[in-house]
Amino acid sequence: MNSKSQAGNAFSFSWWHETVIGVLLLVVLLVAGWLVPGFLKPHSQLLLSRHLWEFAILALGMTLVILTGGIDLSVGSTMGLSAVVFGCVQTSTGSLVAASLSCLATGLCCGAVNGGLISQLRLHPLIVTLATFAAYRGIAEGWSQGNSYSRFGTNFSSLARGSWFGVPLPGVIFCVMAIGFAVFLSNTPNGRFLKAIGHNERAAKFSGIAVERIRFWLYATSGLLAGLASLIYVARFDTAKADVGKGFELDVITAVVLGGTSISGGRGNILGTLLGLLLIHETRLFVSRYWRSDELQWIVIGSLLILAVLAYQLIARKPRS
Amino acid sequence: MSNLLPPIGHALRPARFGVRFSKLVRQRETGLLLLIVLTCVVVGIKDIHFLSCEVWREILVRCAATAIVACGVMLVVVTGEIDISVGSLMALLAAVMGRMISEHEWDISCWIGIPATLGLGTLIGVFTGCLVSVGRVPSIIVTLGLLTALRGLTTLIMGGQNIDRLPEGLTQLAKQGLCGVPLSILAAVGVIGLTSVLIHHIPLGRRLYALGSSAESARMAGLSAVRLKLFVFGYTGFLTALATIVDVPRLPKIEAGIGSEFELLVITCVVVGGVAISGGHGRLSGVLLAVVLMTMIRPVLTFMDIGEAGEKWTRAIQGMFILLAVVTDSFFLRRQRSSGGEHTA
Amino acid sequence: MHRPICWLASIAIAVSIFGCAKHDSSQTTGTSGETATASAGSHKLRVALLPKIKGISYFSSCFKGAEEAAKELGIDLIYDGPTDGNPRKQAEMIEQWTIDGVDVICVAPNAPDVVASAMQEARAAGVSVITWDADGTAESRSFFVNQASAQAIGEGLVNAMLEDLGPDTEGDVVIISADATSENQNAWIETMKPALAKSKLKLATIKYPGENASNALADSQDVISKYPNLKGIFGISSVSFPGAAEAVEQSGKGGKILVNGLSTPNDMKKFVQNGTVRSFILWHTVDLGYLTIHVAKALAAGELKPGATSLKAGRLGELSIVGDNVMLGDILVFTKANIDQYDF
Repeated sequence: MNSKSQAGNAFSFSWWHETVIGVLLLVVLLVAGWLVPGFLKPHSQLLLSRHLWEFAILALGMTLVILTGGIDLSVGSTMGLSAVVFGCVQTSTGSLVAASLSCLATGLCCGAVNGGLISQLRLHPLIVTLATFAAYRGIAEGWSQGNSYSRFGTNFSSLARGSWFGVPLPGVIFCVMAIGFAVFLSNTPNGRFLKAIGHNERAAKFSGIAVERIRFWLYATSGLLAGLASLIYVARFDTAKADVGKGFELDVITAVVLGGTSISGGRGNILGTLLGLLLIHETRLFVSRYWRSDELQWIVIGSLLILAVLAYQLIARKPRS
Repeated sequence: MSNLLPPIGHALRPARFGVRFSKLVRQRETGLLLLIVLTCVVVGIKDIHFLSCEVWREILVRCAATAIVACGVMLVVVTGEIDISVGSLMALLAAVMGRMISEHEWDISCWIGIPATLGLGTLIGVFTGCLVSVGRVPSIIVTLGLLTALRGLTTLIMGGQNIDRLPEGLTQLAKQGLCGVPLSILAAVGVIGLTSVLIHHIPLGRRLYALGSSAESARMAGLSAVRLKLFVFGYTGFLTALATIVDVPRLPKIEAGIGSEFELLVITCVVVGGVAISGGHGRLSGVLLAVVLMTMIRPVLTFMDIGEAGEKWTRAIQGMFILLAVVTDSFFLRRQRSSGGEHTA
Repeated sequence: MHRPICWLASIAIAVSIFGCAKHDSSQTTGTSGETATASAGSHKLRVALLPKIKGISYFSSCFKGAEEAAKELGIDLIYDGPTDGNPRKQAEMIEQWTIDGVDVICVAPNAPDVVASAMQEARAAGVSVITWDADGTAESRSFFVNQASAQAIGEGLVNAMLEDLGPDTEGDVVIISADATSENQNAWIETMKPALAKSKLKLATIKYPGENASNALADSQDVISKYPNLKGIFGISSVSFPGAAEAVEQSGKGGKILVNGLSTPNDMKKFVQNGTVRSFILWHTVDLGYLTIHVAKALAAGELKPGATSLKAGRLGELSIVGDNVMLGDILVFTKANIDQYDF
């Protein structure tokens, strides 16, 4: 609520959040490069970037969802279900293409179910995706009976582990998509409608925007991206199982809101999300490689999220009193 | 439980029976109660033991902790905020409490350890509220950050060792209880009473609802959003500490994973219980029924004896229950609901 | 007027991060030498020990043994793992360590297939990889420190239960596992089923409470009420075993329903002493950690080569190697009589 009513009061410079996150990212990189030998080497950075791509692809969809003031908690579970479908189809037909297509289709269907419930029944996205969060994961577990499918061949796993002129293939896919999403958001009517819905849904509706249709396709897209992320995950680990993507939803939301997308909607962009993703990724790597402590990683990421948003509030907003 | 008066907006309700009846049908509680009774009947036909006193005593004991925390989270949601850190907070408080009062650790007297735990819970709650209201960081971000940070902190504090041997008196109270009523049930009854008094009988409750329905109007009416938010988050922190104290001694040992996914359970109960996520309305009775329904699912599945393959569908069935509770409500009863996303934060 | 408060809050958070960070760094340097700074120019052997889940008492006790061996052999020991047991994070840690250029990585895979490619990459980069506690895929590691195979664990559990109940007892038994997707537990269940089929006990159901103590307790209570002819409960995860024991104790059926599972002795002493648990199995976890580090050292020093049939491992003496499995020894059965001898 605050972010909307206060948006007009902010300094005329509208990139405060990206600046804050960018500076933080630089600080982390410098400190890490100083303390951890070889941290900044392009080779190791590129190699370890493969921890990032699934999150990054999910984050694109999540940015749009959060822009409209919604939320999608079911992306991790959608990944699990898509992975299981992939495994089932691959083992029964032996065709990787059919399996990949059905994996993407499953993601799309899961997203469409979310979108349908949200737009047709007018349910709150948090409620719907909280339910499907449990349901999709559960269906994946029940269907696969907890078994894992693996060994899809080295050709397939090299899709995620291999590189293309030194850049990992999923990274290339992500970059293309990120540019596409950024252009969509700033240069097409539909992209601008998303922000309008987030700002003031009623006004958007009255000005003739097909809010419900847009919302349906939005969640469907989020599901499709979860299917794609699942495909990359499966290729990276050469294993498809019902627990694929467990806990991803919160990490993705963390990255998106850290990147400056307002959780109440209406504000945010792809660049911010990209910076948020990188900040979390580099911080994780730094903590993990310097202190060797997984629990510390949790503490740092959690505090970083609060601190970054707090810092932004302090710098960019005038005090209300 | 279910005859608690609705908080506001119902004072002018016409007394005609027909209208009353149609209102009753449209209430969330009716649907939930029907779902609970129906499930009980079906499971009772399959295995009559499910309806025995011992089974329901256990189910109610399990409900207690969830109900206690849900009372707080419900008020948070009513004011238009959200709290998803209660699970991690519970783990942290359990670790701190265990460290303090366990006979193998510092072995401090319960009379100091328990108030200290309650104090710490309240303090963290107030801190959260401070960040939300004074720092103006959206509550979902603060509590998401705390969810991860506190979990990591707990693992650090525990240092890979489990804590057991809590004082005998406390564990006995938690398991057997006073005159056969376990401590957690007593605490839950107390908290439910307190919360309903708060909602219905003192102005503070009405102010929370007012703040949730329209922050702007509330501000114009002279209400202090900062103070109200500090209160709800502090209250939730206090209740989480209370739930930890009465529930954790029931478990065999304290380990770092305590309370995992508890926040999701509580939020689910709150939204299934009919509290609007955008704030402003929702009733305690609905939330409590939702707590019973959500807690029932696990024993129901055990008593339905769904077989080895069926057990792996547990999570799917849980999800379906949530969907069912939410969708029937919106689809058949056509309750007026705010369409999503108008003001979530 | 709110600004000072905001600043205070942010300073408080910053201080708390710094405090934790400092606390932890001192812990790491205390236990494992200067892990971060030692990489440049140090000749010390660097060994990374990766548990399935960091922060549970089972792996903490393994770490104790590993530390002991590391001190003995002058090894730089890194101990880290996912606190939530996520195999994806295991794979990512292996990838980081490979880049950091550690000499040996000892992996306890939580899901062998998921970590396999990371382990193979590590080997390709010249890092020696061994598995301990649970085996990985054959091509992903050179040796496996074998404390017990899934076969031995599953049969050991059933045999211990049969011994306590008497071989001719009829009735129901229940398994309380972890998640439906937990690979280790599923592997044990697969070997328990045929062993149970040979006995007169009937496997009534398997419950999956996840790694959640409240759910484990709740599920155990429910099966006790549901199956009147219940004779035994197998709790096969670190939370479900104590949960099942607690449920039996609370229901007042201690002695009538027996509980069995895998646990460190310290965690179960309470229940063995009051008779709820008559016996349970495990191996010497401290020795397992100790042996793992010795195997890592021998491998890096070139003393251990494929085809070796024995290995001298410090205070454990001469241990046999079968194929590429370094054998720790027999599974221990803990009972009221011997549990006080162990402290881990």
